[in-house]
Amino acid sequence: MNKLFPTQEVGSLAKPRWRIKGCRGKSLSKEEITEAVNWGRKLGIENLEELVKLLRNGFSLYKKRTLLEWSAKYAIRFFETAGLDVVFDGEQWRSEMYEHVMRNAAGFRFLGYVKSFDYRYFNKAACIDTPKYGKSFYLDEFLLTRENTEMVIKVPFTGAYTLVDWTFNEYYEKKFSREIRDFKRRKFKAKKEFLFNLIREVIRPEIRKLVDSGAKWIQIDEPAATTHVTDEEMELFVESFNETVKGFNCSFSLHNCYSNYEVLANIACRLRNCSQLSLEFANRDSRQIGMGDARTGYNEIQLFEEHGFHGNYGLGVVDVHTNFVESPELIRDRILHVAKMIDDPRRLYVSTDCGLRTRTWEISFKKLKNMVLGAELARKVLE
Amino acid sequence: MLGCYVTGILPRPSELIKQTRAYERGRISSKKLEESFTKATDTVIGAQFSAGLNYVTDGMLRWQDLFRPFTKCLKGVTVGSLTRWFNNNAFYRKPIITDHVKREKDVVKNVTYLDKLPENLFWKAILPAPYTLASLSENKHYKDKTELMFEFAEIINEEIRSLADAGFSYVQLSDPALVYEPLASKLRADKLPLVKDALEIAVKRTSVKTCLQTFFGDFSKILPEALDFPVDHLGIDLYETDFGNLKKYSFEKGVALGLVDSRSSLVEGTDELVAVAEEIIESIYGSNIGEVFICPNCDLDFLPWERAEEKMKVLGSVTKHLMEEFS
Repeated sequence: MNKLFPTQEVGSLAKPRWRIKGCRGKSLSKEEITEAVNWGRKLGIENLEELVKLLRNGFSLYKKRTLLEWSAKYAIRFFETAGLDVVFDGEQWRSEMYEHVMRNAAGFRFLGYVKSFDYRYFNKAACIDTPKYGKSFYLDEFLLTRENTEMVIKVPFTGAYTLVDWTFNEYYEKKFSREIRDFKRRKFKAKKEFLFNLIREVIRPEIRKLVDSGAKWIQIDEPAATTHVTDEEMELFVESFNETVKGFNCSFSLHNCYSNYEVLANIACRLRNCSQLSLEFANRDSRQIGMGDARTGYNEIQLFEEHGFHGNYGLGVVDVHTNFVESPELIRDRILHVAKMIDDPRRLYVSTDCGLRTRTWEISFKKLKNMVLGAELARKVLE
Repeated sequence: MLGCYVTGILPRPSELIKQTRAYERGRISSKKLEESFTKATDTVIGAQFSAGLNYVTDGMLRWQDLFRPFTKCLKGVTVGSLTRWFNNNAFYRKPIITDHVKREKDVVKNVTYLDKLPENLFWKAILPAPYTLASLSENKHYKDKTELMFEFAEIINEEIRSLADAGFSYVQLSDPALVYEPLASKLRADKLPLVKDALEIAVKRTSVKTCLQTFFGDFSKILPEALDFPVDHLGIDLYETDFGNLKKYSFEKGVALGLVDSRSSLVEGTDELVAVAEEIIESIYGSNIGEVFICPNCDLDFLPWERAEEKMKVLGSVTKHLMEEFS
């Protein structure tokens, strides 16, 4: 991109109540419909009366599908109106980054909820057969986004390594149970085969569809990338990324957050065709304005630089886990601080730490607006 | 003695999960939630009994993580941010040590459903080991983590004695940090005598059987030093431990063999586990077999309840077969 410090979001945006309840076939209150109308006006959405009519209708599959499209259009316009340079649809079609993919692929069965922490759980699937491509899971949302924006599009794509790490591996563990006696080696071999079969059978076919339909930039989301910090596992992660992106005429980036960056920095150079590392830093940083000592949250950029990473950074300057709205000046200083740490400021894309789905639209909008203003301030200093 | 038991927190049955989620969303009262915990505790104790386990726990369903009762109850400790629990897609809240750590009341006893534990069975309690508790805490008060580990050892000792008085006959100290590779590689061999000293403090003047349960890492890495640890039994995660290295040593102490994989939903076949257990037992003991327990490699709460229940049945069935073999 020619512009210095282009701005981008990472993926998810909260789903509006009218989208959630409407898709579940629940009737909406007057306030909820008003909320849809108000945001629609703010974002300049056309034909709002059609949406209102739809929201008042009884449940049908047609309604569900059409509501997904409406909320995707809202999200695209949300990002555009905030002034971002790179957009997508806020993952409005996806129930959640893991379940959405697993429900559409064949060879899996959901076993039920397991604990994540406290009273939070996630529905975990088991691989019970060779993974096979079922239904397309990202293509429709990409096509709709393409039709509805002129901006640069970045497609968030849940990475294979994370999908495998979050899934029970019954099929392959059973397959190797006779062959390999040692449990630890058996599990690793089973994981490896599961991973590469998933990439071949499910992940790459979807990427192929996206690329053939004109996708130019796919962001591989791998929150689990540094869960297992042994050399053997990190090697597996590198191989899985490289195998995922191999041979496609498309740009790829990696998003990873709340992780061990010491370990990630160590292997970052070996990720092929990875034009950008989108990383979370704001969450680790102070809220004080200024550069230098105030910016301790960005120290780990140094690790990536020391390991010789030459690609771009999607620099997290907005913390997605707090309602604190970063001021444009704070964002400016975060950008300028890192611009000084690296050889070329053009390597910086200004970004949120992660998807904004845990924040309300009001807060998200304020945060993104300020992010855009902050990038503008930083640009003025350097240009 | 051949027996079996579970080694950690059990999964919450689905009805309880539903209620905890409803509670989080403000839809049910804390009283109603408590009723659900009580009911689910009956279920998980009943399942242990039906599976033929020799020692039962109360299932630890209220434990949000291995440290939480301590993090919440001890003076000088506050509940910190969410942190990844080793290499799992699960998180614990980091204990932050802000002051001198003090135990003013019973910790584990107060979160245990004592009245639910059947009187005709042996009771087992599970606590964090001093080393793991100190390693995974953020220390803002003590000179170093070693000093903190010794402080925790005293507290664990008071806990064990209180649990013994309450009727527990077995206490497991969970010590994953001792073997988890990224941490263990930083643990120099000369630190192991300190771990041993801390364990001496933790178990001094106690009358219960004790086990140091290691998991998420290769137990053979702390051999031969662990053979001298002042506990009755040593717990081994067989899904992380190199069989070959393990078999190089001979044991006098008892072992808890983590033969059932809590991090896999695949239900193991009894025959295979019996064969592996026999091989290990014969190799580490020769003709002089020590006390052996068959157990899951770690907390079963990585699984949905139904699968954990099936796996407990496997424990019972493997143990029964082994008893026949070795009798």
